[in-house]
Amino acid sequence: MPEPAPARRADLPVAFTEKAPASIAELRSMQRHIEALVARVKAAVVAVEVGSGSGSGVVITSDGLVLTAGHVCGPPGRSVRFTFPDGKTVHGKTVGRDEESDTGLMRITDPGPWPHAPTGDLAQIRVGDWVLALGHPGGFDPRRSLVVRLGRIIRIEAGALQTDCTISPGDSGGPLLDMYGRVLGIHSAISTSLADNFHVAINEFYDNWDVLAQGGGGEEPVFAPRAYVGATGVNDGGGCRLTEVEENSPADQAGLKVGDVVVKVNGHEIKVSSAFRRWVEEAQPGETLNLEINRGGKVLSLKVKLAAPPADH
Amino acid sequence: MNRSHGIPPRRRLWLALLLGLLAQAAVAQITSRPPTLPRDRYRNGEETLRAFAPISAETRYSIVKLNVDGATVALGTVVDTNGLALTKASEIKKGKLTCWLAVDQEVPAEVIGTDDEEDLALVRVHAQGLKPIRWASGGVALGQWAITPGIAETPHAVGIISALTHRVRPPRALIGVQFDFGGSAPRIQELLPGFGAEKAGLKPGDLIVGLNHTTVSNRVQVIEALRDFREGQMVQLRVRRGDKEFDAEVRLSSPQFADGAADQYSERFRRRLTGEVSQRAEGFELAIEHDSVLPPWLCGGPLVNLDGEAIGLNIARAGRVTTYALPARLVQRVLDKLESRTKSTARQAGG
Repeated sequence: MPEPAPARRADLPVAFTEKAPASIAELRSMQRHIEALVARVKAAVVAVEVGSGSGSGVVITSDGLVLTAGHVCGPPGRSVRFTFPDGKTVHGKTVGRDEESDTGLMRITDPGPWPHAPTGDLAQIRVGDWVLALGHPGGFDPRRSLVVRLGRIIRIEAGALQTDCTISPGDSGGPLLDMYGRVLGIHSAISTSLADNFHVAINEFYDNWDVLAQGGGGEEPVFAPRAYVGATGVNDGGGCRLTEVEENSPADQAGLKVGDVVVKVNGHEIKVSSAFRRWVEEAQPGETLNLEINRGGKVLSLKVKLAAPPADH
Repeated sequence: MNRSHGIPPRRRLWLALLLGLLAQAAVAQITSRPPTLPRDRYRNGEETLRAFAPISAETRYSIVKLNVDGATVALGTVVDTNGLALTKASEIKKGKLTCWLAVDQEVPAEVIGTDDEEDLALVRVHAQGLKPIRWASGGVALGQWAITPGIAETPHAVGIISALTHRVRPPRALIGVQFDFGGSAPRIQELLPGFGAEKAGLKPGDLIVGLNHTTVSNRVQVIEALRDFREGQMVQLRVRRGDKEFDAEVRLSSPQFADGAADQYSERFRRRLTGEVSQRAEGFELAIEHDSVLPPWLCGGPLVNLDGEAIGLNIARAGRVTTYALPARLVQRVLDKLESRTKSTARQAGG
């Protein structure tokens, strides 16, 4: 399992630790720092092609372990073609993924060593920290090579980071870097607002490492859900928009309907759909969750009593 | 699964993380640190933009805001002391053209020349005291600040140089053939009705052996080469049919009427995620790519560095992560061309 690389806030130009940069001199110090950082880490950011899909990834060890998004990776054992920013292509395999957290692990099977980036730690990160998003939006383009974007952390929540680094399809799996050049997250999802850029937090990879490294994410779910609500949804900017409510499920009985957007659970805001799923998974059958939902512009409060999964789940 | 043993490891990790976050939240309350970043401090927030005020102070008298019938359509970059400015040609629609200046004055203006290749228009602004922009002489570096000032005291947007400066190909145009995928040779299998190849008399089985006087032997090579042509342009193909060879002039046309309605749906979905983009966002000889979020109606102004020098001219909002600027040197070259063309036109008119 990779270890977070050490970092000291005192080593950063002061502009990065303030509420906002205050002068041209500070902007210059940021520019110097960012230019050097990009030059140092960019070689580790790869474009990946798996099956008919494509995305991005980041090499984190010299022997070629690559972090990516679960939805880019897919099940273990698939062939992958990696393209480095200089256009060099190499081959590898998917190792494992965890669908819930959207984490994925791949390995370059051609002999290394490979350029790689260190990984970071959420514990040292604060809202407002400056970050860089790297990746290959739209797939690898030799004329353009990789694309770098600057932004700040808007929100930190269990499992995910939100930033104003604009990302787009094809970026999925690419790294979010802190100003120490460490991988802090992996691009995962966007919504219509340009500030809705979501990245799986690096700690999700640490937490799921055993699952990923041992080829998780095959057909069988590795962990059976313990509590059951009977509703699933997708990201909808400010919440989880329900796309399915099973008949006679706890969700159905509580009055939830397809199209409802779950915006809060037990008073906590739900920003990505996985956060809602997690609340359910972290609960016990029999527990009650207080939901705040948005139904066509109206905000409603509902209580849903979770059950044990039915036999066929 | 063993459930009798208290909290399983994964769950324990989650609890630890959750507790950690709760602890952080508690600290946040004590120090009243907000759990979400206030919008003012976003990369493009007011507080951040304020740091760039000296850049705007330096450049705002070299910028004009162009209105057509009272609605803002573009910014303009002042290029000399007599009131000439460059802007994005395709945004200047028909109507009454005026310019707002940094001195809070509205003056009349007119387009005196356009360059379709790079989508630039030369505008005469009827005002005194405009200051020409200073062009940067060096190149740009990945990660360098890229600032879009307007006529106000702080810039409209800031971002960084996102990628290598590169050519942006024109939107795809077709000659209207389907190649035989049996081999690697560019042999025509089928002709799309109504397209240039059919009109030029090409037939199934024809082999393309040359393209604008360059020998070709490979299908991919031909497809790649054709990507550099825009709608309406002609390409000369050398064609082998049986034991005869001949040349054919083939017009390229837009694939629009070849695609069905299915594409429009995905296009609409894509637009929702992308936000507004420029109508003309492709087909530039060279473009600086930066991540500033710029509405299409604020293109045409200078893209400047921390020295207040123009590294380019914003030419298109192209996507969720992409804004293009023509590099300073290319802009100056087009400007020379436009100026000499308008001078010779003026001479002709005068003579």
